[in-house]
Amino acid sequence: MLKIDNLKKKYGQSIALDGLSMNVEDGNLYGFVGPNGAGKTTTIKIITGLLLPDSGLVTIDDIDVTREPGRIREKIGYVPDFFGIYDNLKVSEYMEFFASCYGLYGLNARRRCMMLLEQVRLSEKTDFYVEGLSRGMKQRLSLARALIHNPSLLIMDEPTAGLDPRTRLEFRQILKELREQKKTILISSHILPELSEVCTDIGIVDQGRVVLEGAMDDILNQINVSSPLVISIKGSQDVAIGILRDHPNVETITIQQEDIMVTFNGDRQEEIMLLQQLVDAEVMVYGFMREKGSLESVFMEITNHSEERLVLIHEG
Amino acid sequence: MKVNPVYKLETKVSTRSFRFPMVIFAFNTVLSLVALLNMYSVITQVKRTAEIQYSSFINLYIFVAIMEFTLLLFIIPAITAGSISGERERQTLELTLTTKMSPTDIVLGKLFASLSTIFLLIVSSFPVLSLSFVYGGVMVKDILLLLVCYGVTGLLTGSIGIFCSACFKKSTIATAASYCLTVVIMAGTVAVNHLVFLFSQISSAEGGRGSGIFFYLLLANPVSIFRTALNSQMGREPGMAGIFPWLSQMPDNVITEYWMVFGVLVQIVISVLLLRMAVRKVEPCKRKRRF
Repeated sequence: MLKIDNLKKKYGQSIALDGLSMNVEDGNLYGFVGPNGAGKTTTIKIITGLLLPDSGLVTIDDIDVTREPGRIREKIGYVPDFFGIYDNLKVSEYMEFFASCYGLYGLNARRRCMMLLEQVRLSEKTDFYVEGLSRGMKQRLSLARALIHNPSLLIMDEPTAGLDPRTRLEFRQILKELREQKKTILISSHILPELSEVCTDIGIVDQGRVVLEGAMDDILNQINVSSPLVISIKGSQDVAIGILRDHPNVETITIQQEDIMVTFNGDRQEEIMLLQQLVDAEVMVYGFMREKGSLESVFMEITNHSEERLVLIHEG
Repeated sequence: MKVNPVYKLETKVSTRSFRFPMVIFAFNTVLSLVALLNMYSVITQVKRTAEIQYSSFINLYIFVAIMEFTLLLFIIPAITAGSISGERERQTLELTLTTKMSPTDIVLGKLFASLSTIFLLIVSSFPVLSLSFVYGGVMVKDILLLLVCYGVTGLLTGSIGIFCSACFKKSTIATAASYCLTVVIMAGTVAVNHLVFLFSQISSAEGGRGSGIFFYLLLANPVSIFRTALNSQMGREPGMAGIFPWLSQMPDNVITEYWMVFGVLVQIVISVLLLRMAVRKVEPCKRKRRF
């Protein structure tokens, strides 16, 4: 669906994009994450045709966005991180204006607008003026507007920024419904727990490049696998350490008082077998769990440019 | 028939604001005051001298026409200079540019919306203009000719406003720039002619012959078209020759014979060029040629 290959963009001497490459497949909900200044908005502006890259290729359904911007505009729906100020305009008129911008007129346009407003739970606000809506309602209206022409690719830049938790929950629900409709969505956000809940794929961008990309399930599994096992033991730890040292899935062992932190590269079944092994050796185990890994920890680790880095102690 | 969405939106939104009827009200109030003052002065004169000067009734038409022309020159940049820059400030332009609307559609929609407002202003002033018919001496074709002048002036100054609006990000700067550019065209073309004439007077032993080729700069000046239209209606000699002697020394050729036609054409061409440049400024990705 969306392919970006070696995208580069400079603003004067400042490098915004430094060879960014990524892939969004059909039907995926792709989370686009990065710290401030990483190049997310620049990338989105290039995809939507609002900016020209210095070099690189961006294609949507094999159509080059820089060479055929007219064809691209039919395929994308854009929800920016700002709503814009529309004075003296009602919700229904706002929708009809954008419908006419996409060549939809008359009864068909009105029906489509009503259907979308119902989908985003704004059907009761059709006669309200846009400037009187709350921020959350405006975001939902923006989403409805972006879907008017049934685009192949929906691009959303920080859609839940500044929204209260309830509104963010409602918005996530709408995104899940869109995902079930097999809509391809690219969503840029800082709110990582939300992304891990709704996204099928994720790309972490830093300093103008994608530094980590893949299916959300795979990445979360990797996080879980890479998080250390915390084994809490009462009494002598020597027997336990002996078992752990000889275990083929144990990479590092770190002792913190009564807890043994183990980097264990096995799956769930192998974890259970390790626990069984310790119990069989009459080791008094009162705690055995994976330290909770998270997308935030991966994000922080990857985008940390500090000189001091956390080092795992290996004994054995 | 499918209407330009930007035009439809602009006309809908602008007519809902308080500003729109206030502009029409203020415009017609000023015109009406001018007309009433003129009539009052005529009546006072008649009472004092017991003499009716019929030329003073024609003056009513001239005063109102000049006043309306001047007001349009003030109002049009104010209406148009915020059209594109205002959208940038309200962060609505980028969103419209991501739709199937091309920059040309957007600029033309803004232009037609502004021209509609100008047309409404002109039509609303018909009752005041029609006072001239009460006294006679003015025909319907004269009014129509005046409307053509106003229309072309509206197109040119509107294009200037839209061009400046596309060039500058802030509406205040765009408004100032469009007024400046309007003054440059109105007064600058006259100033150039006068200066050239003075130089030719100084440098030539027999005295200069007009302003030479610079005279044709006035084709771009809406005031010259307006003046030509009024003079052709009133059958008067150019009244400004006393101030600008080079006006009476203009060359005798087909351009000066059909000055108004050529002037309208030149101003339409300038308007089209300004609008094309505005479209290029609005275009989000200015594409370079790839070989």
